[in-house]
Amino acid sequence: MTRNEFIRRLKAGLKGMTSQDVAEIVADYEAHFDSGAAEGRSEQEVAQALGDPSRLARELRFEAGLRNWQTDRSPSSAFAAIIGFMGLATIDILILLPIVLSVIGVIFAFYVAIFAIFVSGGFVLIVGPFQGFPGGALAAIFAGLGLMGGSIAAGALLTIVSIWVINALLWFGRLHYRVIEPAIKSDDA
Amino acid sequence: MSEVIETQLKKGVLGLCVLALLSRGDSYAYEIASKLADAVDMGEGTIYPLMRRMQSEGLVATYLEESPSGPPRKYYKITETGHARLAAQVAEWRAFTRAVDGLIGPQAAAPGESEEAHDA
Repeated sequence: MTRNEFIRRLKAGLKGMTSQDVAEIVADYEAHFDSGAAEGRSEQEVAQALGDPSRLARELRFEAGLRNWQTDRSPSSAFAAIIGFMGLATIDILILLPIVLSVIGVIFAFYVAIFAIFVSGGFVLIVGPFQGFPGGALAAIFAGLGLMGGSIAAGALLTIVSIWVINALLWFGRLHYRVIEPAIKSDDA
Repeated sequence: MSEVIETQLKKGVLGLCVLALLSRGDSYAYEIASKLADAVDMGEGTIYPLMRRMQSEGLVATYLEESPSGPPRKYYKITETGHARLAAQVAEWRAFTRAVDGLIGPQAAAPGESEEAHDA
């Protein structure tokens, strides 16, 4: 494989990362080829020693997704981390995929349901007092507030659960190329 | 199967080896990779995901330095956190290998034809 071919495959595998990250990574590998050339190694030799660019790209992307998720707990970073996890695409992850997808589906459905309860709580609170809510206006206000408060609490709980699920997935993903490390690594969690 | 275990084992200790190398002096990725590739027999490309991870964990820091030929090189330097991690990992590694040595026992240390017999 030539240097250009290696870099091209690497870039193709890094799609989805920020352009700054891609530029940094590509610069690292370009520098590697430069140093190799300075030692008189051919492009083919260096590319061979580096290994498969697509596999390297998958690891780099997964690590980047993990890092983002650890510093920025947002739905979009969670989504990116899960995509990176699936990108590892090893056999046991593929076997796991239906389970993962249904868990994600269930969590999503819960979010939708909680949102619906919150909205209907707001509806009872605002419309109930004027439309003859059984038990009177005060009951309507309390029922509305209760529904809204309950759905917020359930939403918070669900968020904790989904953070936990994503962390478990990523832990599993890392296991794939760092099996022995937890055994010799100090606990940094 | 044993090949998989071997790869994972080497990959796992790679971080430890890089920290150990850097504790003896700053270095750039190409140099680290070529030293490790000889010693640990890994693809050189693996060094870059590893260095990025160690940098984001604050174990190493980078700086640019002029190189005798070509553009400035990115040097890696071990941090305080890195030194602490290295000490902890070395202690765990020693304990781990001591335990494994104890289990393997003295007779397994005898080399020779037994090794090939296992592969077959």
